Amino acid sequence: MASQRGSRGESLLVRYLILTAWALFCLAPVLWFLSIGLRPRTEIVTPQPIYWPTFSLDAWHMIWSDWPMAAYLRNSVLAVIGSVLIDLVLAIPAAYSLARYTYRGREDIGFYILSTRMMAPAIVAIPIFFLFRNMGLLDTVWALMLIYAAINLSVVTWIIRSYMLDIPKELEDAARTDGASDMRILWEIIIPAILPGIITAGVIGAIFAINEFLFTLLIASTSRAYTMSVALANFTGGSDGVIYNAIALVAFLAFIPVFLVVVAIQKHLSRGLTMGAVKG
Amino acid sequence: MSDSTLPASGVALATPVRVAVARKRRSKRMRTLFPYLLVAPAVLYLLMITLYPGAYAVYQSFFLVRFNSWTPIGFENYADLFADREFWAALWNTLVIGVLALALECFFALMLAYFAYRDPWVQGWRIAFLVPMLFMPSAVAFIYKLAFLDGRIISDLLMRVGLISENLAIPSSIWLSRATLILADVWQWTPFLFIIFVAALQGQDEEVEEAARLDGASWWQIFWNISLPLMRPVIAVALVLRGIDITTMFANVFIITKGGPGGATETISYFIYRLGFKSFNFGYASAASVIMLVITIVVAQLVVKRAFRSGRT
Repeated sequence: MASQRGSRGESLLVRYLILTAWALFCLAPVLWFLSIGLRPRTEIVTPQPIYWPTFSLDAWHMIWSDWPMAAYLRNSVLAVIGSVLIDLVLAIPAAYSLARYTYRGREDIGFYILSTRMMAPAIVAIPIFFLFRNMGLLDTVWALMLIYAAINLSVVTWIIRSYMLDIPKELEDAARTDGASDMRILWEIIIPAILPGIITAGVIGAIFAINEFLFTLLIASTSRAYTMSVALANFTGGSDGVIYNAIALVAFLAFIPVFLVVVAIQKHLSRGLTMGAVKG
Repeated sequence: MSDSTLPASGVALATPVRVAVARKRRSKRMRTLFPYLLVAPAVLYLLMITLYPGAYAVYQSFFLVRFNSWTPIGFENYADLFADREFWAALWNTLVIGVLALALECFFALMLAYFAYRDPWVQGWRIAFLVPMLFMPSAVAFIYKLAFLDGRIISDLLMRVGLISENLAIPSSIWLSRATLILADVWQWTPFLFIIFVAALQGQDEEVEEAARLDGASWWQIFWNISLPLMRPVIAVALVLRGIDITTMFANVFIITKGGPGGATETISYFIYRLGFKSFNFGYASAASVIMLVITIVVAQLVVKRAFRSGRT
């Protein structure tokens, strides 16, 4: 893997300079934002920016005492997990059908599923808002679950389909001659074989769901349904303006688990992000 | 299934044979239907959030909606929309911000991926570059709002190195406001393309490169003549996916600029949101949604289908 181009030392240097510069560009704002989360409010918006603030856990106490942070967390977790479960239940059979059977209209159905990924949330936002209002689901975690599942269903289906296409057909044929039904083959052979793909699809769906902003903004209006993503935008103290240190801490609270999970599935990431079009 | 192969000999066997044949026919029909049954729940679910809202938006776009009173007004919303300078401005802003951000992201991601993909520390670079992508977009928006606007960090840093002599008036400058949105997007989403490009480059045959290098080709020639052509389908898929997300940019606009100054950063998503949920002009906003929907369908048919066909191995 390491084919060192020793003869061109200076090009190696340029390479590392550029990569390091980008790494700094990525990480410097993050570290600075962490410092925002760990300083008192008086040192954030100042006439002269303060680069060496005093350490303070004000924000930490504030997010738990001034806001129903536990409720925001609970809503995020419930909505995300629920939506991923809905997606997997719908997507695994759909992906199996798209990957393993030949039938009329298969290509069109597959493309229709893919194309829903292209829908701008704003396009369907108004009808969805009225739909949920008529169903009495506004400001509930149920509505968030349903809408996150719908947003991610295309991605989850296509990722799982891509992994299913990789399984050699002989594996199934052997089971079929032994008289196993299609459902049993799916359950006992295919699903265990593509478990990494299913996990990747679930993780990517979960990340999109955590980040979702527009629908959540429209659906949620109190702590009954506010998620972390949208609660952030409401961390304002009236005349005090935006409460940045609380925002920064909550951002890191959400970031850490996501980061750990993504590092764990690193190898599958490129494939997941392209809905299976690129095999990592 | 296996009982249908019973030999049909003798009258006494007629009834079981008929049953077997019927069962075989039913199981055959079942087998044709089976793949449809598997895919149907997903498709129905998606129709609920695409077909139903699409039809609803089309219907609503022919009405003047004032709270709960709907007055039919024919094509008036569309006529107004085409004459509305804010609508065209929103389309234009979406295009300008989207194209610039996408071009920068693609350029940086290609360069970084090409420099990193055979590096022994490629895993480390990937993790470092990934970090911005894993923050919630709303949090990223606040990072940029604070750095560029409220906290004036960027102005201060630029003054310290002597590039400017007084605070930048970002909120009142059209291009600086747009640049803030573009930079926030480039910062957060270049890694998306980077990860995909690294995977694509790593998948390429190392021997071809090595042969070219032995023939004395420079890294630029190898990149331009060998790697880039091979990557073209992957680049197409990646740009399509990123392009979709950029054109639907909302959280950054909502938090950083609110569409200002003078609507110069109002994207089409924010335009629809503002008309629908700030002005409560739902019929009008629905008309804008329908036009967006038509554009989406056309783009999906022309570009996305092709990109995903060729991207598939």
